[in-house]
Amino acid sequence: MRRGDIKRFTYLERVVHWVVGLSFLFLLLTGLAFSHPRLYWLTTVLGGGPIARILHPWIGVLFALSFVAMFFLWLRDMRIDAQDREWLRAIRHYAVHDKAKVPPAGKYNAGQKMFFWTMTVLGVVYVATGIPMWFPGGVFGLGPFYGEIVNVSRLLHYLATVGGALFLVVHVYLGTVAYPGTIGAMLHGSVTPAWAKHHHPRWHEEQSGPSA
Amino acid sequence: MTAQLPANGLRIRRASASPDPAPGIRQGPEYAKLVDISRCIGCKGCEVACKEWNELGIEPTENFGSYQSHRDLTPDTWLLMRFTELEVGGDLHWLIKKDACLHCEEPGCLLACPAPGAIVQYENGIVDFNQANCIGCQLCVSGCPFDIPRFSAETRKVYKCNMCIDRVEAGLEPACAKTCPTNAISWGTKQDMVALAERKVEGLRARGFANAVLYDPPGVGGTHMMYVVPHGDQLEQYDLPADPTAGAGALALLGTLRKGGAAALGLGLLAAGLHYLGFGPQSAEEDES
Repeated sequence: MRRGDIKRFTYLERVVHWVVGLSFLFLLLTGLAFSHPRLYWLTTVLGGGPIARILHPWIGVLFALSFVAMFFLWLRDMRIDAQDREWLRAIRHYAVHDKAKVPPAGKYNAGQKMFFWTMTVLGVVYVATGIPMWFPGGVFGLGPFYGEIVNVSRLLHYLATVGGALFLVVHVYLGTVAYPGTIGAMLHGSVTPAWAKHHHPRWHEEQSGPSA
Repeated sequence: MTAQLPANGLRIRRASASPDPAPGIRQGPEYAKLVDISRCIGCKGCEVACKEWNELGIEPTENFGSYQSHRDLTPDTWLLMRFTELEVGGDLHWLIKKDACLHCEEPGCLLACPAPGAIVQYENGIVDFNQANCIGCQLCVSGCPFDIPRFSAETRKVYKCNMCIDRVEAGLEPACAKTCPTNAISWGTKQDMVALAERKVEGLRARGFANAVLYDPPGVGGTHMMYVVPHGDQLEQYDLPADPTAGAGALALLGTLRKGGAAALGLGLLAAGLHYLGFGPQSAEEDES
């Protein structure tokens, strides 16, 4: 952290984020392998078919637990307010980097908040549809799920995965090459004042006090 | 990953989660087993022969108020004679069903399986589980309209009747057909067995079983184990689904949507790339200059 840099994420937040992120990546790759024969080769680098199948639900548990931790760490900052709704109306200007027409964002812009809430909903879908597939014979006194319950779960699990993967593409793209200086917030935890002023002006003001 | 396919002399017509093997010029005959329920005396000799030939473990059982030997199929019990008692016009009838894999022409298990080559269908129509490639996900169990495959928690693989494929390959009939003392189980080409069944159904109708039918459900493309059912109006009582289907419903929708899913992911990556080329990185440092 250089002099003047602003702390954006604590050590705990960064660890939790990367547990969520890396477990999601493992789940995505093994899930894609099981979803289509043409992608089955992915299991070769993930332990082989049977091991990938055994690990997938357990990594899913890790994902779910770390996601819950992340949810409560960030919940306070993720409330959607009137300014966010304004931001969302201007999202097409944001998409083409027309900064002048985008309302100033706080610690998180409305797009990031939508990502947070979308992944929360999708996370619930992953768990709810994953359980029947993990324990088709029944669990917690529920089931058996064999038959159409498993087949429908499989369909919903897949659709939620496509949705989550598309959001992940946007998330990784914006966090890395699209906005240089962003990834540092998740690696060493801090950003430059210029970055903060540019991407999150209202948060920048809160951090440094009102300035010219 | 190249799937290990079973090393016997039979050509494979179809393997799970794999492109269809190239069609061969030679067309081998399709075989079928025909179970004439009206001739079954409930001796369970077929159960014993199945265990013996396939070297399946012995499982203790108990008296649970039925002539049935065990309650259910297991990874070690691929054939179970189910005894259902039904009163028809004051007479007690035994509806005996030879519960084992029906070897569907359109196998729901194979269509549901995500592991390449874990389920194969041979040119003669027999559907076989190839445990070497099985990942233990049990999606075949949910894909099967007849509730046949059984998962072993010990080996984490799924098992079912393989129609004594090692006997069939050598020109022999399955062990159950060989042992049946009343010829209730016949074995031959599918064509011959359908013809035989039609004669049997006719005979049964002439003898007063007006509802006798051949069970060869079209929803799964027909089966390679068929039944002659004396009380064809009582299919549900025999635990035989009236109109089973394979790969339908949510699975069919998944099969269609996953093409779109792959396209959506590809387009998402493409869009990110095009966005970068069009608008480039947006650096905060520019504000300072």
